[in-house]
Amino acid sequence: MAAGYRIVTWTPYKALYDGALALGCTAFVGAFIGVALATTPEGQRLSEVQLLIRASGACAFALLTLILAIGPLARLSPRFLPLLYNRRHLGVTCFLIASVHGGLTLLWYHGFSDLNPLISLLVSNPRYGSIQGFPFESLGLAAWFVLFAMAATSHDFWNAVLGPAVWKALHMAVYVAYALIVGHVMLGAVQGEKGLVYSLAVGAGAAALAALHIFAGGREARRDADAATPDAGWLRVGPGADIPDACARIVTPPQGEKIAVFRDGDAIFAVSNVCRHQGGPLGEGRLVDGCVTCPWHGFQYRPQDGRAPAPYTEKIATYRTRVEDGIVFVHETPMAPGAETPPSTLARPA
Amino acid sequence: MFIGWATPSAATRRGVLFGGIAAALGAAGIAGTLAATQGPPGDGAWDQSAVRDWDGLLVRAPYPMLRTRALGEGVRTAFLGGSGKLSVAGRLPAGLDGPVTVRASLIARGDHAMLAAVDDDAWIRPAAAQGDDLAFPAPVDLGEAALQGEILDAKCWFGAMRPGYGKTHKACAALCARGRLPLAFCQTGACITGGEAPLFLDADGAPHTRAILPLVADPVLARGRLVQVGDVLQFRVAPDAIVRL
Repeated sequence: MAAGYRIVTWTPYKALYDGALALGCTAFVGAFIGVALATTPEGQRLSEVQLLIRASGACAFALLTLILAIGPLARLSPRFLPLLYNRRHLGVTCFLIASVHGGLTLLWYHGFSDLNPLISLLVSNPRYGSIQGFPFESLGLAAWFVLFAMAATSHDFWNAVLGPAVWKALHMAVYVAYALIVGHVMLGAVQGEKGLVYSLAVGAGAAALAALHIFAGGREARRDADAATPDAGWLRVGPGADIPDACARIVTPPQGEKIAVFRDGDAIFAVSNVCRHQGGPLGEGRLVDGCVTCPWHGFQYRPQDGRAPAPYTEKIATYRTRVEDGIVFVHETPMAPGAETPPSTLARPA
Repeated sequence: MFIGWATPSAATRRGVLFGGIAAALGAAGIAGTLAATQGPPGDGAWDQSAVRDWDGLLVRAPYPMLRTRALGEGVRTAFLGGSGKLSVAGRLPAGLDGPVTVRASLIARGDHAMLAAVDDDAWIRPAAAQGDDLAFPAPVDLGEAALQGEILDAKCWFGAMRPGYGKTHKACAALCARGRLPLAFCQTGACITGGEAPLFLDADGAPHTRAILPLVADPVLARGRLVQVGDVLQFRVAPDAIVRL
């Protein structure tokens, strides 16, 4: 259901989502500046510019941590799916806040001299061979370029131009950006603070994020391990009755894309788990109006042939299924995208 | 199930609304904690709007300085700095020497002072004689010293930047040193709290060259001689007597 891209329209939900985002960012920056001013005696305060530099940097880091947590959270519980939708708004906001941080830093610490600030950023601290003395600014700059590339290509136009696979690969670079930012903060601001709060905050955020990804990935891996069968090419999905009506169970073949096996009443269908829009997990969606509906952005496909309903033209692969003694199996070899594949049927209880 | 393009259920809308409020409160709590636990930046001060005339005796070396009574407590020395991260050395009119009037704002931290000259050409002009006691007395060699600490740019540490020390300030300090602003040396611990920060010079009492730049704002051990020149304490160190810690 994505024959083209259109100007994004505003809906009350998007307004609510972005309102909550603006409230959160304003609260963070406002609280940082307010508390810093309230707890520091006159004459001992950071300048207004330095307060903004710190507040915006901390806010961008916290926001990026939240952004990366949404994916695994949504895999663990569908209750987090409303956060996933419009996640790109969070990403663009994170980029803008990081740009405020970077721009002010460039002006304040690298401006007002006879050297180009951008050159100063890379050469003023020449200790690239040292870990302790490493110029953390260069890590921040590299992360900013990654965030820029992602923000600039966040619109569906670029998804259509680059193709979902390339677009998805490009946007997975957010993990590179996060690693660069952790290094930027640990080798910069954290080194300058004598207390443990900053290092604990960064470390706890990164550790929680890693744990969340490992936990969500481990759960999927355990589920995938249960699918192996001695029957060549056929994967065990499990009892058909255990698949909630209009929902799916996801299995991972030895090679290729994951497979989403849907139950629609007594009928069992299997399609690729990868949405052609942004690679969303179709098996975490459900059947709506008879169509497989992606949980990320609502793109739809007919389960029997994997085609988006007219006038849309996207196609995904379908898979053969069979049912034996109430147990559903799916064949690991995909049919051609758009190929009609008849469903198998669960036997009704006598 | 949530579908992006569909009208969200009332429960979803409520969830986003209350979740957003809770997230904002959580964000404020995290931000407040981070803000409250920041290290102190030091008590240097610079009111850029308080520009006035300062009378005194111009001293050109090792850095441009003004010997003046205008800072109170008898004759004291204020370094002269330009706008931004640049010295006024290149803006000193040729042949101008002796008593002058400088138009500048004061950067001060404890007993340390720098005058930040205004940008226009009339920032310095000759003045009437102000007495012989403004001249620097003869230097007094206080002997050898080995100090641990950090090489700073005096302008930032005196109050132009808060904080004006440490790794996050290294690039700025290097630019100030490159701009020929005076360097100072703070001993470990005193970089934050303030106190004595002697003028940092080479073994001959001249400004260091740009070869010092990579060492600026790093923890170092420096071995040299302390020399008292009037109210200015100098720490004279040869470049090869500085060891990064």
